[in-house]
Amino acid sequence: MCSHYRENGGAAGQRGSAAKHLSVLLIVLALSGCKREERDFHGLPAGGTITNPKVREVPFVAGGSVPADSRPGPYEENAYAVSQGKTLYNQFNCSGCHFQGGGGIGPPLMDADWIYGSRPENIYETIAEGRPNGMPSFGRKIVPDQIWQIAAYVRSMSGLLRKDVAPGRDDAMQVRPQEQSTQKAKPVQSGIPKSAELP
Amino acid sequence: MPLTLASTLVQQAHTSLNPASPQVRLVDQLGTAMFVTAAVVCLLVFAALLWAALRRRSGAEPVADGRQERPMKTAVLLATGVTTVILFVFLIFDVSVGRSITTNPGNDALQIRVTGHQWWWEVQYRDSLPKNWATTANEIHVPVGRPVVFELRSTDVIHSFWPPNLSPKRDQIPGNENSLWFQADSAGVYRGQCAEFCGHQHAKMAFLVVAEPADQFEGWLARQRDTAQTPTDSLARRGKDVFMAASCVMCHAISGTSAGSRIGPDLTHLASRRTLAAGTLPNTRENLTGWIVDPQAIKPGVKMPPNQLSGPELLALVAYLETLK
Amino acid sequence: MTSLQYRYAAVVAALFFQLGCTRTPPQSDAATPAERTSTLPARVSPDTTASSTADDGQWIMPARNFASTRYSGLSQISSQNVGQLKLAWTFSTGVTRGHEAAPLVVDSTMYVVTPYPNLLYALDLTKPGAPLKWTYKPDPALASQGVACCDLVNRGAAYFDGKIYYNTLDAHTVAVDAKTGREVWKTKVGEYTKGESVTMAPLVVKGKVLVGNSGGEFGVRGWLTALDAKTGQLAWRAYHTGPDKDVLIGARFKPFYSQDRGKDLGVSTWPGDAWKIGGGGSWGWISYDPDLDLIYYGTSNPGPWNPDVRPGDNKWTAGIFARDPANGQAVWFYQWSPHDLFDHDGINEQILLDLPIKGQTRKVLIRPERNGYVYVLDRSTGEVLSADSYGYNTTSRGVDLKSGRLIAIPEKATTTGKVIRGICPAAPGTKDWQPSSYSPRTGWLYIPHQNLCEDVEGVESNYIEGTPYVGAIVKMYAGPGGNRGVVTAWDPIGRKAVWEVKEKFPVWSGTVVTAGDVVFYGTMEGWFKALDARTGRQLWQFKTGSGIIGQPVVYRGPDGKEYVAVLSGVGGWAGAVVAGGLDVRDSSAALGFVNAMKDLPQATTKGGMLYVFSLP
Repeated sequence: MCSHYRENGGAAGQRGSAAKHLSVLLIVLALSGCKREERDFHGLPAGGTITNPKVREVPFVAGGSVPADSRPGPYEENAYAVSQGKTLYNQFNCSGCHFQGGGGIGPPLMDADWIYGSRPENIYETIAEGRPNGMPSFGRKIVPDQIWQIAAYVRSMSGLLRKDVAPGRDDAMQVRPQEQSTQKAKPVQSGIPKSAELP
Repeated sequence: MPLTLASTLVQQAHTSLNPASPQVRLVDQLGTAMFVTAAVVCLLVFAALLWAALRRRSGAEPVADGRQERPMKTAVLLATGVTTVILFVFLIFDVSVGRSITTNPGNDALQIRVTGHQWWWEVQYRDSLPKNWATTANEIHVPVGRPVVFELRSTDVIHSFWPPNLSPKRDQIPGNENSLWFQADSAGVYRGQCAEFCGHQHAKMAFLVVAEPADQFEGWLARQRDTAQTPTDSLARRGKDVFMAASCVMCHAISGTSAGSRIGPDLTHLASRRTLAAGTLPNTRENLTGWIVDPQAIKPGVKMPPNQLSGPELLALVAYLETLK
Repeated sequence: MTSLQYRYAAVVAALFFQLGCTRTPPQSDAATPAERTSTLPARVSPDTTASSTADDGQWIMPARNFASTRYSGLSQISSQNVGQLKLAWTFSTGVTRGHEAAPLVVDSTMYVVTPYPNLLYALDLTKPGAPLKWTYKPDPALASQGVACCDLVNRGAAYFDGKIYYNTLDAHTVAVDAKTGREVWKTKVGEYTKGESVTMAPLVVKGKVLVGNSGGEFGVRGWLTALDAKTGQLAWRAYHTGPDKDVLIGARFKPFYSQDRGKDLGVSTWPGDAWKIGGGGSWGWISYDPDLDLIYYGTSNPGPWNPDVRPGDNKWTAGIFARDPANGQAVWFYQWSPHDLFDHDGINEQILLDLPIKGQTRKVLIRPERNGYVYVLDRSTGEVLSADSYGYNTTSRGVDLKSGRLIAIPEKATTTGKVIRGICPAAPGTKDWQPSSYSPRTGWLYIPHQNLCEDVEGVESNYIEGTPYVGAIVKMYAGPGGNRGVVTAWDPIGRKAVWEVKEKFPVWSGTVVTAGDVVFYGTMEGWFKALDARTGRQLWQFKTGSGIIGQPVVYRGPDGKEYVAVLSGVGGWAGAVVAGGLDVRDSSAALGFVNAMKDLPQATTKGGMLYVFSLP
């Protein structure tokens, strides 16, 4: 460094070097202005999206309704929330019945078949209220914000979330393709629970 | 809230320069020796530089001739030689300290497994008899004068277990098992800290090591092995119902009840601990109430969500938790 | 004689034998001395008002008799003519989950129990086409479907004293009048909201209905309960974990091995109060010896599957109890798999026989166990006389006969945070619940089972009441050879396999063997097959509408003809991928079984049909 300095000879070399250093400094300052996501750890209130407090499971409203609120669910675009949802999904034993989306005691969550609907509000209601054929009710046990996180993760299991939001490959033994690269399965609402087929 | 016997123990300064175990004492000695040697060498080097800068010159142009070369070469060789010897001495010293710290302490050592979670410590006392196992959180009791072996694990990210008065640090790496051991030489309360950045609340992931005389330790351990008793007080009984009906059971275990989740710290003997939230708050009724209402205000990002309990439910719940000695 | 003369003689002898078979009345269970290689206990029939000779052509309990031989003395259908077997009639149950039950035949009526919603059908065998007499609907709780680990199966009913007894998924036991279909009593035996369910077929012994619970995957505390057959009132309940007074261990308890002796082992072999959620249900088979007056049955896996949180031997899970049926007092216990690491439930069938061993006739029970060994135990004391491997095994090296302990291979121990590969046998074991049969004519066991291995990673297990408590990610696949199923003929005296028939899918159905030397079983593709009991050669098969996981039965109809009946309708743990419509892209689904059964949906669809066959 020192010899290079001496070779370039005196004052002129000094000025060129200073300009280079200054521009590097400016770039660094500019980049550090990028803001990181401000997370509100107090979380979302019960039921409904952030702005629309009512949860409505079906679009069919007697007496007519205003144009349907087509706003996406609260965590559809939040990778952190979906990742938290995945952790909770395993810790709260959702994986005990639904495994990693393939199903078992409960129906699969990674396929296109949605018994009670695939919208975030539908999934929220399923988790909070339970369903008649064996889905327990978690309403008082899991706080609403966490239910929204789990609902968002459940949607990612069938590829319904964007690639940059859905989780990538996790550290546990690989048993299914990562949610990020799961082919989007266009939801079909069957209305028929697989477990109750009474004659 | 902490038991009066143990509260006579004094909390020591949280520093590795205040050794309370042979391990840290050895490292401290090594550190001091290196510091003193380095200080002396540093002074000598500065002195030589000063002498080189300030000595009078003979005025004429410097001439490269043999007369100045030989003393120069001798000086450099001497300095290099001394440095090499110093480094070798320290190498030997270092290796020997390292070996002393890690040699197996023998079969009568107490076995404790510490598992790092974001952002709390799961502490499990292990024994050859399964009914002698005990699980607690964030506060580790050890008997004075007896070696304790720690198995270090992690369930999520890399943490590092470091009670500086008692032991050098050792990482807890998920999927792996590390271990360290130490022996507390004097009774006291020693603070430890997570020493590997592990997320939002790495800074508030502390733990306490309480070194106490062997008989007090056995008493404490026997109490930790017990299941929680059903409270007799009606408010506390209501509080237990609140605990079972609310979201607490999803994450916390209380032995003797049907709450058995391991996501959060075991609460069976919560009232016997000195602090809450991994060393963040002293364990008092006010702090506990505030913590339950909104942990995010105290330790934002922690996994425990704010609660939706009503006032009377909260009071009953805290009354119940205070019975968990 | 020349070889040609030998052949003529053989043909003539066979002809005479066959004629003899069709003319003479059905043979007794006792074979001719030349053929007898073992004896059954003298009394095998229960005391009941229905006709109770050993070979009356009825089938009044799933195991056929208290010794659990599943052997029919009827020989109209034989290895010579079974090739002509034809479908006689069918009956659709209307339910399309896994059909594991054995149809019962009592007083010319056939009784069929379906999977959830656990309907009971009574079919009139005296009329052509066996029309429906009545249907009984117990209406089990809808939500109990959420706590059935392995499809919504039911393993059948038992007949006693004019009533049909069976269990419903939401942990109730019912007694139904066999003639009218009216409910006589219904008793709640467990709490499904805590994860308890009941899928097993009860056994009625000395006027008591014996019922065991399921829920080893839900942190349930296992038990065996006796209800009074007349009133449904609780007679006694023996838990399988906890203090001795709950386990009904008292003065009569004399376990053979030292590791099973001690006070309150059901507490001290667990940390803290883990025994309260420790599993050990008894959802499998019970046998009874009227001479020794002892019932024998096994206990399920300890919970959770992840062993890290339950150090110790975890008594009294994964073992076998001998108890006094009158009061439930334990007489002896043996633990197949102490501190089980692999979900190797110990609930399989045990066949009671008197066998010559080392020159003496010993009263034994034979158990083809989940952990990979065919055990022969002295049924008076619980001593292990032999334990021989009948499948590929990387988890243990055998059983140390001196200490009685399973010799585990430590490298395959599962633990949190580590992936252990090549665990054989997998969680369903070398054989799961599917029951084997025994022929006194050949002296061999006919064992339907599987050949599966698995990879397991232990994960944190959280007990949240009513939800699964497992703590493992599992992925199963075919064992060496690639065939996932096997039917083995096993010689319990020679202690080795005599012949084996490999199948593509696990053989999840039971077997039945007859005096005609025919073995019947079904495959998961839906083939109902007949094999020659002596050689294993396939003699006949019929493709039913759906995979078969049920227990075939053989009976004599009112017209004097011999019939073979089996339920077809795939499901159970092995068939969950079809019965539950699961997604094969997740290898861990259905506790890892889906990975081994990805091709099953191509081979079979759901169904629910009873098939009955006879000679034309």
